[in-house]
Amino acid sequence: MHSSLKTAAVALAALFVVAACGGGAGTGTPAASSAATGATSTKPKLELASYAYAIQTKGKLRVGAREDNVPFGVKNVATSKFEGFDVDIAREIAKEIFGNESDIDKFIEYVPVVSATRIPTLTESKADFVIATFTINDDRKKQIDFSDVYFNTGQKILVKKDNSTITKVTDLNGKRVCSAKGSTSEVNIRKEAPQAALELQDTYVPCLILLQQGRVDAVSTDETILFGLVKQDPNTKIVGSYFSAEPYGIGVKKNANNDRNGFVDLINRSLVAMIQDGRWAKIYKQWITPVSGDEKTTPDQR
Amino acid sequence: MGIIGEFSELYLFPNGLFITIQLAITSLLGSLVLGTVIALFRIAPLVPLRWLGGGYVEFFRNTPLLVQLFFLYFATPYIGIYLGEPDTFGFRAAALGLTLYHAAYVAEIVRGGLLAVDKGQIEAARSLGLTYLGMLREVQLPQTFRAVIPPLGNIGIALVKNTSLAATIGVADLLFAGDIVESRTFRAEEAYAAVAILYLSLTIPLGILVNYLEKRMLVAR
Repeated sequence: MHSSLKTAAVALAALFVVAACGGGAGTGTPAASSAATGATSTKPKLELASYAYAIQTKGKLRVGAREDNVPFGVKNVATSKFEGFDVDIAREIAKEIFGNESDIDKFIEYVPVVSATRIPTLTESKADFVIATFTINDDRKKQIDFSDVYFNTGQKILVKKDNSTITKVTDLNGKRVCSAKGSTSEVNIRKEAPQAALELQDTYVPCLILLQQGRVDAVSTDETILFGLVKQDPNTKIVGSYFSAEPYGIGVKKNANNDRNGFVDLINRSLVAMIQDGRWAKIYKQWITPVSGDEKTTPDQR
Repeated sequence: MGIIGEFSELYLFPNGLFITIQLAITSLLGSLVLGTVIALFRIAPLVPLRWLGGGYVEFFRNTPLLVQLFFLYFATPYIGIYLGEPDTFGFRAAALGLTLYHAAYVAEIVRGGLLAVDKGQIEAARSLGLTYLGMLREVQLPQTFRAVIPPLGNIGIALVKNTSLAATIGVADLLFAGDIVESRTFRAEEAYAAVAILYLSLTIPLGILVNYLEKRMLVAR
């Protein structure tokens, strides 16, 4: 947790510098600025040189979201509308740009993404930001920028309901554990329980089958994925406490050519506001509480 | 974590190569033996044996190997068959699947070779008092094996490449190693180029060996 706080702080500091530079470039035309803000009096006032202002002028925010990731980003087959935790957070950010519109979806263009297309969608400028259970890490930070953490999860353990011998990660030593080949989950198990025998599959459904057949003792990965597995097989349960930190952030293209001025800053301000006034807690309760059973008011709550 | 800078898991490649070689040798020997038996069934004087052999070939040649592997790996426990302890299950399922599948091809090649032996020789052997099995051992099979070495070499090379499907059922073979390296380093081009070169290091010598054997056998003839 400390490391993610630190990285978030560093990212914030870097953004501050970028935002300051952007502001400096824009101060040359104060008259134009006041004229523009006057014309859009119903909309929030935005810095003229900022990327958010460009989006406000264009009238469309392009949001990269998952279509198949319950309960974070799902495209409702019946209504063909996007919904989920990530999507509702995106809608609140859109309100920061377009004002408190009753039908904010009019101003949002959803760009479907999958895990592997999240970074290209940003670098090729197909979306303004990507909000898709996107874990912040150093390798990704080399290619894109991240907002502050808007959701925290971590790795936990799934066992059969009648299993009482595995209650924490060190209990996995000497046991057979299934995880995804090459994932960070696999690396974490090797680190926390070096004597665990790993069974590696391409996805987590085969892991669940092996658990049902008794060929592995446990499955371990991000709790948000385990939620889905428990839903599929109620004879399983999630045990232990987090033994890794998976902080989710919102991805934005790097502001290398001053073409994303102040954008991450705006997203962060929006996140702070929605956490402070309880909108975040409401969204959590709507989407996450039904699968997790708990309630949270901030992402940092454990 | 800076995985690229401190990537220290290159041992995955030799480990994976070793598993791939073990898997290839086990399945190659298995499919040669089983395939020959099935071929003998297919030309046996007894009609039920011929049906059995024919049914085997049609089933295993006409279903995808990947489906057979998934069945052996995921479905067998549901019908009460345990191919091994959890830690050996994957390798055994893969070796069994590769053997069963390639045996069907070996059977067809060996059958062709058996039928190519001149009828007159077979009749001569029988009239000299050899039993059916004795005739097979002394006359028909030796000539068959000489004739089928080049096509069997092709099957062997195909088998080595097909062992890579074992990675999909969690066997830590060469491709599996490449998958892990790729997902840890995000360097697909290097990871899979290394995997391809290591497969070549198995299949090209195998091809040379087959050519050598073919030439030697021709001289012997």
